[in-house]
Amino acid sequence: MVEKILQSIRKLPAFPASVHKVSELLRDDDYSTQEVVKVIQYDQAITANIMKMSNSAYFGSRQKIRTIHEAVVFLGRRHLQSAVVTAGASRFFQASKGGYVEKGKALWEHSVAVAVMSQILSRHLRQREDQVLYTAALMHDIGKLILGEFVHDGYEKIQDLMERRSCSFLEAEEEILGINHAELGGRIADQWNFPPAIRDGIAFHHRPDLLEDEDSIAGLIYLSDQFCLMAGIDGGIDGLAHRGIGSVMKQFQLREVDLERNLIVLLDELDKAADVLQLVH
Amino acid sequence: MDIVVGISDVKCSNKNGDVLVTYALGSCIAVAVHDPVAGVGGLLHFMLPDSTLDQTKASQAPAMFADTGIPLLFKSCYQLGADKRRMTVKVAGGASILNDTDYFRIGKKNITAMRKIFWRNNVLISAEDTGLNFNRTVRLNVADGKCLVKVSNGTLKDL
Repeated sequence: MVEKILQSIRKLPAFPASVHKVSELLRDDDYSTQEVVKVIQYDQAITANIMKMSNSAYFGSRQKIRTIHEAVVFLGRRHLQSAVVTAGASRFFQASKGGYVEKGKALWEHSVAVAVMSQILSRHLRQREDQVLYTAALMHDIGKLILGEFVHDGYEKIQDLMERRSCSFLEAEEEILGINHAELGGRIADQWNFPPAIRDGIAFHHRPDLLEDEDSIAGLIYLSDQFCLMAGIDGGIDGLAHRGIGSVMKQFQLREVDLERNLIVLLDELDKAADVLQLVH
Repeated sequence: MDIVVGISDVKCSNKNGDVLVTYALGSCIAVAVHDPVAGVGGLLHFMLPDSTLDQTKASQAPAMFADTGIPLLFKSCYQLGADKRRMTVKVAGGASILNDTDYFRIGKKNITAMRKIFWRNNVLISAEDTGLNFNRTVRLNVADGKCLVKVSNGTLKDL
């Protein structure tokens, strides 16, 4: 089973090269707007999505943005990276084939919510936004899109394990499919040439405590994911069947009221991000 | 007609044929009330237990919190002719993640806050499907007060 699953990720289309290219250009503080525009323009789907997003309230747009050049200037260094990643990732959620997720749209909404929450937490805890964190948070459940296709017969068995033995969703996946969606997501990230920080953030987003790396972003993705699940913004059949890991809250010195306050901020920001959510139908 | 109640939202109706529905409760709680004589139904989807967390937010969006949302739900139903003595109250939601430590108690806190409010106001909860670790969807039929809870594992309950 695991072999079949791993083989299937090799058939995945590549992650849009234009996204990686833009990331590369943005690494230079003195990046050229013209060059970024050239790369984006090459990919029509991404261009269309960037135009939609740059006019979204989430990025604070006040006046109508009409050209990709205007969009690149307006988004600037602060937002360009996350906008391009979002524009590029959305295509993988369009054609979801069922299984875990009834519709790719539900998983997309969950993924965007976790990405938005990761930035709320990053601002709260580190006084800054973090594009690497945003990317990993947006892609954290990418493994579910693949694993969902293999789950047809295993679906009921996973449900049964969660109910009868109080297994977490992750443990049930491991027992029935031989691999969990987080680990598979990490392998997909590798195949798509994302940096190791993003790969680890995805692979350990349910068990950040297993990763011996204090600087890892996995803990923040874990918290963002749990907060969204509590708010009911879930991404599939797993519901809230995930283990609480108190040490992560302790590590970030988060209190329960911080969690509650951040949930309020999340609802406000998701209201503004309606255009981003609509990138997947 | 299906009328969707979002997170931190409340909706009431006295129209035969209306169904109030709220999706994906997570740790949030849905309170469904119904007066069979007046033919009035109301549905609240609150997210947090206590409005003292953020008073400004509570005045803008009272349905966000148990202590401001529940009174709002009842008042909105009274305006359509409902009477407290005839109203049935059904609740669902308040799920938690597994072996949640002290840090992730929103679901349980929501359940406790809600029960306290009803207890203090002498209101009996006639049916309840709360806790555990499922996501739930609630539908309330305004005509007959039938309340259906769909759980993320696929089961459908008639509360």
